[in-house]
Amino acid sequence: MLARVGPLWEEMLRHPFLVETRDGALPDATFARWMRQDYLFVEAAIPFMGTLLAKSPAGHRKPLADAIAAFHSELGLFRERAAAVGVDLDGVWPSFVCHAYVQFLLATGALASYAEGFTVLYAAEKAYHDSWKVVKSGIDPGSPWIGFVENWASDAFAGWVRWLETELDGLGDQAGRAERARMADLFETTVRYEIAFWELAYGRAEGWPGIREVA
Amino acid sequence: MSAFTEELFEAARPIWEAQLEHPFVQGIAAGDLDEEVFRRWVVQDYLYLQEFARVFAWGAAKADRLASMGWYAAALDLTLHTEMELHRAYASRFGISADELEAGEMWPTNRAYTDFLVRTAADGDLAELVAALLPCAWGYAWIGRRLAEEDRPSDRRYADWIETYASAEFQQAAEWLREEMDRLAADTPSDRRQRLLALFLLSSRYEWMFWEMCWRGEAWPV
Repeated sequence: MLARVGPLWEEMLRHPFLVETRDGALPDATFARWMRQDYLFVEAAIPFMGTLLAKSPAGHRKPLADAIAAFHSELGLFRERAAAVGVDLDGVWPSFVCHAYVQFLLATGALASYAEGFTVLYAAEKAYHDSWKVVKSGIDPGSPWIGFVENWASDAFAGWVRWLETELDGLGDQAGRAERARMADLFETTVRYEIAFWELAYGRAEGWPGIREVA
Repeated sequence: MSAFTEELFEAARPIWEAQLEHPFVQGIAAGDLDEEVFRRWVVQDYLYLQEFARVFAWGAAKADRLASMGWYAAALDLTLHTEMELHRAYASRFGISADELEAGEMWPTNRAYTDFLVRTAADGDLAELVAALLPCAWGYAWIGRRLAEEDRPSDRRYADWIETYASAEFQQAAEWLREEMDRLAADTPSDRRQRLLALFLLSSRYEWMFWEMCWRGEAWPV
C-alpha cells in the first residue's frame, strides 16, 4: 500500500508546513490554525478508536485502549501548548477538510470491516510519524512546537506504528481480494486527507464550498 | 468445490433435522399443536421480527454493491411493513390483538438470539452478518418446504403457516441470501470461513432453541 501511494507520500513529506516548522520559518498564526483544527481531529479519533475496539480481536484490545489514553494525552499537549502561546482551542468551527476527514474516519469505523478501519488508523499514524520525523531532522530544540515533535517522532510512537504495521500485514493476509482492494483505497484516501490537512494550515482548502468566510 | 452454503448445510444438518423433528414443528405439520403453545410463537416471533429488521438495515448500510443494498432495503421494508402486518392479521385468527402483540415481552432465549444477531450485524462485516441471519431465513424456507411435501393439516391456520414459508417468495428470498453468502464467502480466506461457520451454527442452535422456548414456555428466572 505504501508503494502504491509513493508519490503522494513524498508530496506529504515535502509539504511546506513540515519544512517551515522544522526551519522555524512558519508564521505562528499558520501553526495556530493547524493546531486548532488538529485538536478537533484528535478529539474525534477517540470515538473512532471506540468503533475499532468494538470489532477488534482480543489481542488488539489492550493496544487500542492504550492508544485512546494516548489520544487523551495528546489533547493535553495541545492544551498546554495552546495556553503557552495564547491560542484559544475552544469554540473552533471545523474547516471543511477537518470535518470531512472526521466523517470519513467515523463512517469507516461504523460501516467498514475491522481490517479496513485498522488500515485508516495505520495510515494516519504512519503519516504523522513520518511527517514529524521530517520536522525533527533540524528543528531548533527551543522551538515552541518541540513537544509535538517529541510526541509523534518519538521511539515510543515508532514502536506503536511498527506494531500497527505488523498487525495490518497480518490482517491483509487474512483478507480476500475485494477487501484488500478496499483497504488500499482507504489507505490512499487517508493520505490525501493528511496532505489536505497540512494545506488547511495555510488557509487553503480550509473553507466550506460556497461559503466565503469560515467563522 | 461445492458451494459454501452446502458446507454450512452439511455442518448444521443435525441441528436442522432436530428442528424439523421438534414436537412444536411436528405439531404444526400434524395440525394438533396446542393453540396455547402456538400463541407463544406468534407473540415471540412478532417481537423477533422487529429486531430482525434491524439486521437488514445494517446489511443495507454495509452492502458492498448496489444490488445488495437494494435487496436489504427491500427486505427491511417487507419485514417491517408487509410481514409484520401479515403477522398481526394472522395473530387475530388466534384471538391475539395488535395491542397484545405490542405489549408482549421478549423471553430470554429470544432476547439473547436477537441481541446476538444485531450485535453481529453491527460489529461484523457483511459476510458475518449474512452467516448469522441465514439460519432464520433459509431455515424457515427449508422447514416450510419439507412440511409442504406432506398433506396439509386440517386446521387451516396451520396449513397457512406451512404455505407461507413454502411460498415462492420465501423460497426466493432464502435462495438470494444463499447466493449472497456464497458470493461473499468466495472472497473470504478459509480461516475466516470458520468464523462464518461458527456464526451459522450458533444461529441454527438458536433456531432450535426458539421452537423449544415456545414449546415449553419461558420466563425470566428473576
